[in-house]
Amino acid sequence: MKQSTLNPDIVFIRDVIRSGGDSVKKCYQCATCSVVCNNSPDENPFPRKEMIWTQWGLKDRLVNDPDIWLCHQCDDCSVYCPREAKPMEVLAALRKMTIAHHAVPGFFAKMFKSAGYLPILFGIPVVFLLFVLFVSGHLNIPDGEVLYSKMFSHMAINISFTAMFFLACGMAFIGGKNFWNGMKADFGEPKGETSFIGACIKVSKQIMLHSKFKECDANKSRFTSHLLVFWGFIGLLVVTALAVVSIVLYHYYPLPQTNLIKILGNVSAIAFFVGLTIMMLNRLSSKTSQSRGTFFDWVFLLDLYGVVLTGIAVEYLRVFNGGAIAYIMYFIHLVFVFFLLVYFPYSKFIHFAYRFLAMVYAVMTGREVVRT
Amino acid sequence: MNIKKGEFVVVGGGISGIAAAVEIAEFGNKVTLIEKEASLGGRVSKMSLYFPKLCPPYCGLEIYFKRIRSNPNIQIMTLSEVANISGTPGNFTVTVRQSPRYVNAKCTGCNDCVSACPVERPSDFDYSLSKTKAVYLPHELSFPYRYVIDDKTCPGAECGKCILACKYDAIDLGMKAESVELKADAVIVATGWKPYDAQKLTNLNYGKMSNLITNVMMERLAAPNGPTKGEILRPSDNKKVERVAFVQCAGSRDENHLPYCSAVCCTASLKQVSYVKEFNKEAQVSVFYIDLRVMGRNEDFLTKIKQHDGLKFVKGKVARITEDPDTKDVWVEAEDILSGAKHRERFDMAVLATGIEPSLSGEKTCLGEQDKYGFFGSGKDGIFHIGCCHTPSDVSACVKLANGAVLKAMQCVGGRA
Repeated sequence: MKQSTLNPDIVFIRDVIRSGGDSVKKCYQCATCSVVCNNSPDENPFPRKEMIWTQWGLKDRLVNDPDIWLCHQCDDCSVYCPREAKPMEVLAALRKMTIAHHAVPGFFAKMFKSAGYLPILFGIPVVFLLFVLFVSGHLNIPDGEVLYSKMFSHMAINISFTAMFFLACGMAFIGGKNFWNGMKADFGEPKGETSFIGACIKVSKQIMLHSKFKECDANKSRFTSHLLVFWGFIGLLVVTALAVVSIVLYHYYPLPQTNLIKILGNVSAIAFFVGLTIMMLNRLSSKTSQSRGTFFDWVFLLDLYGVVLTGIAVEYLRVFNGGAIAYIMYFIHLVFVFFLLVYFPYSKFIHFAYRFLAMVYAVMTGREVVRT
Repeated sequence: MNIKKGEFVVVGGGISGIAAAVEIAEFGNKVTLIEKEASLGGRVSKMSLYFPKLCPPYCGLEIYFKRIRSNPNIQIMTLSEVANISGTPGNFTVTVRQSPRYVNAKCTGCNDCVSACPVERPSDFDYSLSKTKAVYLPHELSFPYRYVIDDKTCPGAECGKCILACKYDAIDLGMKAESVELKADAVIVATGWKPYDAQKLTNLNYGKMSNLITNVMMERLAAPNGPTKGEILRPSDNKKVERVAFVQCAGSRDENHLPYCSAVCCTASLKQVSYVKEFNKEAQVSVFYIDLRVMGRNEDFLTKIKQHDGLKFVKGKVARITEDPDTKDVWVEAEDILSGAKHRERFDMAVLATGIEPSLSGEKTCLGEQDKYGFFGSGKDGIFHIGCCHTPSDVSACVKLANGAVLKAMQCVGGRA
């Protein structure tokens, strides 16, 4: 075995404990968790080793650990844990720490740690949108039939949001690259037969079907809710893109309710809404304080909820000509959308990227569990 | 020195209760020993050998039985349970309910009734590894040496074959339960323990495969008076065992089951390793553990057992056991945390080290206050708790605690507490 020096990071241990991993020190290393987990590989299985690395404060190793992302939070480990050390909660806290560690610039990630920064987080999009309105000369509530393009011109929205979104994508790319390089440095270059592209295709299929999610026993309803939210979100993303295309190329907007794109949008919104509601109810009805979720978890959920609720409200306020309320609702909706799209490298949203990379790394290093 | 003599009740006829009753009686006191089963001896009588000396418990038990037989101060009540205790130190009234044995004192132990009896029941003495008839002798060295009828399986007077078979007129199917009131200066409670119900460990699938047994069953397999006459044969096909797994902490040290350490299972499993190696020198044995808690002087015993060839210790709690449907072998799965790899191994048989749970855990009792695990903490003045109903312990500790309780009990005579 390779010899290494341990550098305990005491602040990191405290951070994990504060971020929902407060049971980590109860672990007595029996490794029940590693065996009952259906997603844990045979060689160096998780989460037993992550529990002791956390107790020892090995931050450098943990933030580059692909295994914490192979966990799909099914809770099988916590159900059988003889110490109530809740490995699932500890891994969730570690994922949050990983996101904060790799995110650029770091202070945005810090703001997602506690509710104290919420005014700033919401203040930024409000000021930004007011600025866009000011520049485009629409800092007032338009009269007549409700048409949102009378307040925010499509041009203004498309340019400003797209620019900010691409900026965020760039930040996310840097974070993801840091993580990928970290994995390779700490856990070895992938030497397996699967290429990067091949692994990406394989993982994409798994994610689309949620096949790894299905391995979980203890927490089955999470599979359905996550699948609904996932496809609902993809549906809404596609609809948004198609709407932009239809505006830019054909100046055809708003779309009638019978339009296929519109139908896809409404179906997606319902799936998204139902999935999110199940997620929230699961958290609220949970018996332990930890699985009720942390701020990091809830702010993402509530923002998604905000997007979908205000989105639906905006649509019907236009149809029923809601006047000033419609425009105010539209403004709020855009704030939520900004929150979602521009902050995504710092919020829980980015979990998709880290998980994707970790799963790709697992496939390339042969750590993916194939069950027969 | 003039010490007043008194009357005492000891509840529980296992090793702790027997020790207390004998010592108290040999001081000239009167004592009634109350036992729930049909024979004295309790869990110890079902053991094959003691650790660390690896000597048979019957040695010590026989000596105790001889001391009981030769002492007129000791009254034994089997098939009896305490229904109520009232009063104060020096003046307790203990209400005892005795179930019918259906076999009276004329029984000579000739076994003719057993040959005649048409119905069978799983033997509780052998933890269901064997069967007895509805009329049976509790075990070979039963004390009292008298047969008993299990009224849950016996069809009753309509069958009556045993009555015809008995030459001594010893069977009385009309026997009724009785209630007796006893006076006592003090009460010693030694209600003992039961093995934790392994079926509650759902990931280990106990009860769903025949070659997954518990440590108490292993004692019976190894015992010369056991169902296999001391040969360690696996239950599914009576094959001589060649590969055996010992699974430690089956219930103990587990917040979902028994949160405490049962204190004796590690040493007991080491003892059982020696059973296997004694029976089959070539056998491969693996012990899966979280920590090997072999306490105090028993550490030498660990060193001694470790010298066996073909013995492997795997640090990692077993979290999954499954059966191979064709061979009936058992697959045992743990993470070997010292190598950091999952360890999946096939065995002929696996033995769960089920923990010690107080016998009266989860039951309402008048015998004292129970802690959240069912152990007796403190009772009323003049009621003393000893043995495994008080704390998980080995036999020698139980006997020492019993001897100490005798002194405290005797101080209650005439109301001195």
